[in-house]
Amino acid sequence: MEKLKDALDFRDFSRAEQIGLIIFSIFLFIFPWLGSGSFVKAVMIQFLLFSLFGMGWNTIGGYGGQVELGKAQYVGIGAYTVALTMVWWKIPFWVSMPMGVLLAVGYSFMIGYPLFRLKGHYFAIATICTSLVLQDIFANWKLVGAAKGIELPIHDHPDFLYMQFKSDTYYYYFIMVLFYVALFYMNWFRRSKLGYQLRMIKDDEDAAESLGIDIRWCKIKAYTIASAFVAVGGGFMAVYNLYIDPASVMDLDLSIKIALMAMLGGAGSLWGPIIGAAFLVPLDRFLGSWLGGHKGLIGLDFMIYSMLIMVVSAYQPRGIWGIIEQFRRKGS
Amino acid sequence: MAFLEISNIVKDFGGLVANNNVSFQIEQGEIVGLIGPNGAGKTTLFNCIVGYYKPDSGKVIFKEKDITGLKPFDTNKAGIGRTFQVMKVTAGMSVIENVMVGAFCRTDDRHVAQSEASGMLDFLGLGSVKTYHLNELPIAMQRKVGLARVLATKPELLMLDEVASGLNHTETDELVLLLRRLNAEKGVTLLLIEHIMEMVMSVSHRVIVLDYGEKIAEGLPGEIVKNEDVIKAYLGDKYAKNH
Repeated sequence: MEKLKDALDFRDFSRAEQIGLIIFSIFLFIFPWLGSGSFVKAVMIQFLLFSLFGMGWNTIGGYGGQVELGKAQYVGIGAYTVALTMVWWKIPFWVSMPMGVLLAVGYSFMIGYPLFRLKGHYFAIATICTSLVLQDIFANWKLVGAAKGIELPIHDHPDFLYMQFKSDTYYYYFIMVLFYVALFYMNWFRRSKLGYQLRMIKDDEDAAESLGIDIRWCKIKAYTIASAFVAVGGGFMAVYNLYIDPASVMDLDLSIKIALMAMLGGAGSLWGPIIGAAFLVPLDRFLGSWLGGHKGLIGLDFMIYSMLIMVVSAYQPRGIWGIIEQFRRKGS
Repeated sequence: MAFLEISNIVKDFGGLVANNNVSFQIEQGEIVGLIGPNGAGKTTLFNCIVGYYKPDSGKVIFKEKDITGLKPFDTNKAGIGRTFQVMKVTAGMSVIENVMVGAFCRTDDRHVAQSEASGMLDFLGLGSVKTYHLNELPIAMQRKVGLARVLATKPELLMLDEVASGLNHTETDELVLLLRRLNAEKGVTLLLIEHIMEMVMSVSHRVIVLDYGEKIAEGLPGEIVKNEDVIKAYLGDKYAKNH
C-alpha cells in the first residue's frame, strides 16, 4: 500500500512538471480520436514502446550510472518467448509474456553475476558482446527459425487472449497502459532504497561500499529489473509486428537506440527517457521515411540524428532534461 | 576481550611492506589517535581493518568476531564506519540524500531514513543546507556531510581518515568539540588518523604511532610527545636527545 502511494505521488515535482504530465496524459488518452493516420499512430506506438525500454534502461544505466549497451538481448528473449510458445503450444500472450519476463530475469542474473565484476568501459563492451552472442545463436538456430525469424499465426477475428486486433488503436491503448505501469514503477523506484543506493554507487563506489552497500548485488538487482522492463516490451513487439527475427529484436542497433534515447533525454531522471524517445522516435521515423526515400538523401537522417546527439552531449552530459534543469536553476 | 583487536597485520604491496606486524587494541568508548609520517601505512591499515584490502596475514577481531577479509559493506554492517581522506565531491545528490543513503543501511523505509538523516544533520549543525549539493558547500561542510552520512549507518567504531585536513583553526576547534560530543553523547568509539598534532593530542585518550609500517610507540598523548623514537621518526636523528 505504502509503495503504491509512493508510486502515485508526484507531489515533489514542480508545478510546471505536474501540469506538463497532466496535459501529456490527456493528449495520450485522446490521441487515437484526433483522426491521425495509421503512420502517425504507428509512430506513437513506437514512442511509447521506446519510452518503456528507456525507463527500464534508466534503472541500471541512469540511476546506477552503468553504461549498458546490451538491452536488445532481453527484448529478444521477451519477444521470442511470446512468439515461440504461441507457435508451438498456442500459449496465450498473457501467460507467455510473464514467462518471457521470468526468463529474461533469470538470464540477466546469469549474465549480470559475472559481468558486474567489470567496471566502466569494460562492462559496456561486455554487455555488447553477450548480446551479440545471443543474436548469433538465434540467427543460426534452426529450431527457432534461424535468421528467417518466426511469423506468428494470424487469427481470423480479434482475440484478446492472444492480443490480436484489427485496429492499431487497441495496441496503442495496451502499450499506453504498460507505459503508465512503468512510469509509476519508476516514480516509486527513484525514491526507493535501491534507487538511492544506485545513485550513491554512480557518484562514488568506494563511499557507497563504506555505507554498507553491496555494490555488486545492487547492480545485479537493477540490471534484472531493467531486463524485465525490456522483456515486456519485447513481448509486445512480437504480438504487434506478428513477425520477429534476430535482426529486428536482438540487434545492436536496438540496444544502442535504447541507451541513446535515455541518455539524450536525461539519464537518471524520471522524464529523461520519455523526452529522449519523444525526440528521437519521430525524428528517426519521419526523417527515415521522408528523406531516406529520396535519391541522394539516403543517410541524411542518420547525419541529423548523430549531430543532435553530439550537440547535446557536448553541451550538457545530462541530456535535454539536464539543459532544462540548468535553465531553471539559473532562473530561480 | 578488547572491543577492536588488531593482531600482527602484514600488508605487502609486492616488496613494499606497508604494514609490518602491527598489533594494538582499542577498548569501547576510547578515542585513539593514529599518527605517523607520510607513507607510514596508516591509511593502508585502515583499509585492512575495514576490508578494502585483504591483509596478507594477521587478524582483525571486532566485538569478539573475526572480521578479517570481510568486504567493506559487511564490516560496516558489523558496526564499523569510516570516512575518506579525499571525498569525491559530486553534484549528483543533495546533502540530505547523501545522509539518507547512510540511514538506509539500517532501514528499508524511506520515511524512517529521511527523518533519521534530518536528525543527524541537525545534530551536526547542517540543518540549513539540507537541499544543497556537495559542490555548493565549503570544504569544512563537505567533511561534515561525509561524517553525517557514515554516522547515519550507526557505527559503534568510527574511523576517521584526516577529517581535519584543509580546515582552518576555528573549524578544527569546532570539529574537536563535535568529536568529543559524539564520543560522550552517542558512545561512539573513535580511531582517527590525523596530521594536525595539536588536534590529535588534545582529542585523543591514547595515541599509536606508525613509522615505515611498524608500530613504534603507543601511549598517552603526554608520553608520545616526549618519546625519542617518535621525535626521530618525525624530525630525524639529529633532533633526538641521544645524538
